[in-house]
Amino acid sequence: MTSVLVIDDDQDLAEMLGIVLNGVGMEVDLVSRGDEAIEVFKNSQPDLVLLDIMLPGADGIEVCKAIRKQSSRVPIVMLTAKSDTHDIVKGLEAGADDYMVKPFKPSELVARIRTRLRRVGGDIKGNLLIGDLSIDIVEHSVFRNGKEIPLTRLEFDLLVALAKESGRVFTREALLGEVWGYHHSTDTRLVNVHIQRLRSKIEHEPEEPQIILTVRGVGYKAGGSGVKA
Amino acid sequence: MKLLNKFISGFRRSLFLKVFSLSAVVSLVLITAIGSTLYNRLEDGIYKDKIASSISEGRAAIQFAKYRFTIESLNAKPNFSSLAEEIVKSTNVSAAESGREVVLIQTKGLKLRGVPASLTSNFLQPESVPKTFRKATLKSDELTWERGTLSYVNKLELPGLFVGGVLDIPKLGKYEMYMAYDFVAQERSVNLIGRSLWVTGFLLLILILLTASFVLRISVKPIRIAAEIAESITTGDLKSRMTVRGEDETARLGIAFNQMATTLAEQISRLENLSRIQQRFVSDVSHELRTPLTTIRMAADVISGSRATFEPNVARSAELLQSQIEKFEQLLQDLLEVSRFDAEAATLNFTKLDLNVVVKKCIADLAPVAGERGAEINLLTNSERTLIDGDSRRLERIIRNLLNNAIDHSEGGPIDITLAENESAVSLGVRDYGIGIQKQYWNRVFDRFWRADPSRSRERGGTGLGLSIAQEDAILHGGDIKVWGEIGKGANFVLTVPKTAGTPIGSYPLNPSPDAP
Repeated sequence: MTSVLVIDDDQDLAEMLGIVLNGVGMEVDLVSRGDEAIEVFKNSQPDLVLLDIMLPGADGIEVCKAIRKQSSRVPIVMLTAKSDTHDIVKGLEAGADDYMVKPFKPSELVARIRTRLRRVGGDIKGNLLIGDLSIDIVEHSVFRNGKEIPLTRLEFDLLVALAKESGRVFTREALLGEVWGYHHSTDTRLVNVHIQRLRSKIEHEPEEPQIILTVRGVGYKAGGSGVKA
Repeated sequence: MKLLNKFISGFRRSLFLKVFSLSAVVSLVLITAIGSTLYNRLEDGIYKDKIASSISEGRAAIQFAKYRFTIESLNAKPNFSSLAEEIVKSTNVSAAESGREVVLIQTKGLKLRGVPASLTSNFLQPESVPKTFRKATLKSDELTWERGTLSYVNKLELPGLFVGGVLDIPKLGKYEMYMAYDFVAQERSVNLIGRSLWVTGFLLLILILLTASFVLRISVKPIRIAAEIAESITTGDLKSRMTVRGEDETARLGIAFNQMATTLAEQISRLENLSRIQQRFVSDVSHELRTPLTTIRMAADVISGSRATFEPNVARSAELLQSQIEKFEQLLQDLLEVSRFDAEAATLNFTKLDLNVVVKKCIADLAPVAGERGAEINLLTNSERTLIDGDSRRLERIIRNLLNNAIDHSEGGPIDITLAENESAVSLGVRDYGIGIQKQYWNRVFDRFWRADPSRSRERGGTGLGLSIAQEDAILHGGDIKVWGEIGKGANFVLTVPKTAGTPIGSYPLNPSPDAP
């Protein structure tokens, strides 16, 4: 059963989230204070975290950073009441994979959670090679010279999306659809922030990327060979 | 020419230059006027005396010569020639001091015997005596005089006066006699006076201008400083103040100016504070509203989910709850957007986009809603692609708002969407053939929460902010929405935006009025 950790100071909202997620067969843990969240996270080891930004104790950004220190993989979806503050960008830079602006439809939330939990590249058997990286789809891990590079699930998804059709240029909108499951959104901040994060992990020199290339005015493409090995 | 323009623009911009030039011109005119009057009067006086003394002396000399010639004529054998020479020579001796010459000339055609045709003292040329003057002298019985130039054999020329008379001598005939007086001494004095006047005038002018510039500098300086500080306040430095020294008018200007600046700064910071508090308040309120709204929404969703097991009344209530929550959400979102416009915090996210695509998407999204109300949406355009710089989210919202508005007021008639472009701008017209708007309300439709007929309810979802937000979005793009309408004939809303971000619209590809060409 999928377990979700909800970190929100609004008890009623948290409880309601619990009801909705239970309804679709997910298990929910609730925390209302930022400073208690890490402890609970360590104990429960959830599959996904829903994180409010404004929290007593420690705010969502700090919690997000702390969780990323603990686990490189777990998907984090921020819940925010403000759509135009730089809180969102700060949250994404701190390691959140996606965000939802309140008020949201419960069905949207569920769809978003499922997107974050699905496994990508299921149709690909074996390893993908891109540049000097080897991507193990089954094991969900990336290696350079036999050494694993820790990526979040989302970064992994992003890399696979680009690498499995190496050379194809993806617009930011296409990536939003492919990786985040958005079909109308034009919030390119999501893509930009995560491409930066991914580059900082896999590129030799993030300022002069060799693996994920920017196509000016269009989007991104994966360079190097993307041959199945 | 360039220099002149520069001077004129400098003149316009600088009080100093203006007043300085004015005082320069005025003092120059005054000094010249006073100087030339003074010069003329002095010159007149100096020459008048000399002329008077010359005339009386000339008269005496000519009388005396006449007398001597007359006596000579009494001799049996008069020697006129030696007498003439003696008269002329007597002048020669004292010429240096007296500045006086004698000319004896025979009138042409008279042919006097025993005297020279012309005789002059000190190498004066007899032609010095002007011909017209000689004629006048011959005609007159009286003594005559005229100013002229004394020309000597050695090319020396001196200004002076000729006094003439005719010696009518028995046995000899008419012999012309002229006394010539040079004005060398007078001219020297006049020149000296003239030069002194020039120098004095020039010095006076310099002195006046120096004083003027000094005084001006003192009095213009505070004005210039005030202007500079006012400018820096205008550009946002509210802390600039004038330094006040002393108790004169300048100091009073400084004090008043500083008080004004302080009051202004206080008012501005008060207003800024108010606006910040208000923005903060709206943002906080919306944040505070959003969390409970999320809970309500999810609860309603859960309730709605098991609607099938409810009694009809309860099921309908659940439905109403759901739809009203949606409306509430939309209202909250619109209010936030409006508050962002008010705070001037709205920003554009420009991309190159195809307006055709955006329009088609909006039509596809809203066609079902329009269909429910019997309205058919037609797209009229000649172009396949209409590329412009725009924020796709905002453009989509504008079109959606205009379309929603048209659907609400179409009364089941068709809705025509026209897309037209020229080299600088793109227009999108949304025309319905429904209720229509009276001319006096054309611009009021963009007012927030405005209703043409307050008793008429909003039948379908509209928040009353849609058109207002659409207009603000259009303005953000550097464009606008123009409206036409007539009761019973429907309405036409035309959105026009420039093709390239930051450029003006130029001419409008579409006019909202159907009567326009």
